Amino acid sequence: MSALLEVEDVVRTFGAVRAVDGATFAVEEHSITGLIGPNGAGKSTLFATIAGSLKPTSGRIVFAGTRIDGRPAHRVARAGVVRTYQAARVLTRMSVLENLLLATRAHPGEQLTGVLFRPRAARAHEQRGLERAQELLALVGLESYIHEYAGTLSGGQRKLLDLARVLMVEPTLVLLDEPMAGVAPTLRVQLLEHILAVRRDRGLTFLIVEHDLDFVMQAADRVVVMNQGRVLTAGTPDEVRANDQVVDAYLGTTR
Amino acid sequence: MSVLFSGGFWAFVCVVAGIYTILALGLQVQFGFAGLLNFGQVGFMAIGAYTMAILVVKEGWSTWLAAPLAIAAAAAGGLLLGLPTLRLRADYFAIVTIAFSEIIRYVATNDTSLTGGSQGTIALGAVGTASEYNSGWSSFQTHVGHALGISTGDTTMLVIVWVVAIILLTLSWFALRTPWGRVLRAIRDDEDAAASLGKNVFAYKLQALALGAALAGIAGLFYAWEFSFFSPDDFQPLLTFFAWMILLLGGLGRVWSVPVGALVFGFIFAGTRFLNFPPFTWVASDERAYIRLIIIGLIIIVLVVLRPQGLLGKRREMVLE
Repeated sequence: MSALLEVEDVVRTFGAVRAVDGATFAVEEHSITGLIGPNGAGKSTLFATIAGSLKPTSGRIVFAGTRIDGRPAHRVARAGVVRTYQAARVLTRMSVLENLLLATRAHPGEQLTGVLFRPRAARAHEQRGLERAQELLALVGLESYIHEYAGTLSGGQRKLLDLARVLMVEPTLVLLDEPMAGVAPTLRVQLLEHILAVRRDRGLTFLIVEHDLDFVMQAADRVVVMNQGRVLTAGTPDEVRANDQVVDAYLGTTR
Repeated sequence: MSVLFSGGFWAFVCVVAGIYTILALGLQVQFGFAGLLNFGQVGFMAIGAYTMAILVVKEGWSTWLAAPLAIAAAAAGGLLLGLPTLRLRADYFAIVTIAFSEIIRYVATNDTSLTGGSQGTIALGAVGTASEYNSGWSSFQTHVGHALGISTGDTTMLVIVWVVAIILLTLSWFALRTPWGRVLRAIRDDEDAAASLGKNVFAYKLQALALGAALAGIAGLFYAWEFSFFSPDDFQPLLTFFAWMILLLGGLGRVWSVPVGALVFGFIFAGTRFLNFPPFTWVASDERAYIRLIIIGLIIIVLVVLRPQGLLGKRREMVLE
């Protein structure tokens, strides 16, 4: 296994606050890497920095051998790094199907020139998107909601739709921001199964920010622990569990 | 009151409603489709009208070359405004747009050698010559009238404006249903989500702004042709807000709500011209003009309270979160 994503000494400040303060870690290809840490550790900021919605103040982010730090979010997504948000950002006033069709890559019909001059290519792309959307909705069990407004879905269903939508983009690396937050226990098992199945079948890599430690320890191959903007430690779930510093960081005790 | 029953008057009301339809359709593309809060739409209308008039009178261009260039100039104005400002947050962008339209109006008022200044297009040409920019249009209008067997200019204009408006509405309706339109709606509802799915939010906003500006440019052309004379005062910010009222009346995010809103607005506006009965006659006639605006405002408030989604809007889409 080799590193698909390398985060090297990334700093992100907001005024005097150093939200991310020199974080360094790597995400191995095809792995599920958990990113954990107490509130305010800098996980979400780091996530936004990797995804391109925030520019790092300094440091390097290398994805598949290419630097992506400083690129705008849409170009990071096109490179194959796609994120979800803590509260699933589904487009509520669009149908479930439209949410998915929106996410296809390089759609000729999404350019005005394509609409005017390549209508057949646009229609063909739309048709392929439709088939893929049906397949993914079946995977997450939302096929009966295909024509409903996404705004009528429950919080947990939105998480599933968000996962399906991320897969529509055909990413290489998926950044999941608290996928388990607000999801019912029964649905959690389902969601984990989907993630594991997708990794197995499509060879995807996942970086997951999650507060639910049981989930992280169960799903992840490697766990990166952040505290106060830095990486405290990284290793297998067992190694991390055995690390005293981690316990301290979570319980807030100081030596 | 007799004017109330004159066909010519209502034809005029409908012509103006058609022009407002095109102007407000531009806003619908920008705000209803893409979520851009543009309060300077009238600026693009002014660019369209002035570019055409200046090219025809000062440069001696044919109307049919000047008109497309005027539309292109309005679109270019949208690009120029958008390039530095579209990365601003929505509320800041809105403030910049209103400043933009006022800059256009002040330039038109003060750059007398270019625009004729506050005297308007009368003063476009050399001193002592009546400057006409619409002879080319008038002869076209007469031809169309003959071909259709219509005797009055008002009615001919009515037909032409609404044919153009319906073509533009149809094109917009179609555009909204393409995958391109889907991306715009996604940006309107959550631009961060759209960006994280690989959509170039800035490029789409720029396109929507420029297209909406081009529509305002077309409205400007018809405005110029309908009135055969105009001045910077015709492009007050109030006109932009009339277009916004039309949008709210008809319903946001829908194409065919725009002509409905424009016609309702046009009839409210025209209908309140005739407040020459008590109690309105108790105040001076110039004060009555303000009372009229107050009444229009109240009618619109009542309509929006009764139907917040607009006449053709979908209530359901307002409550989804």
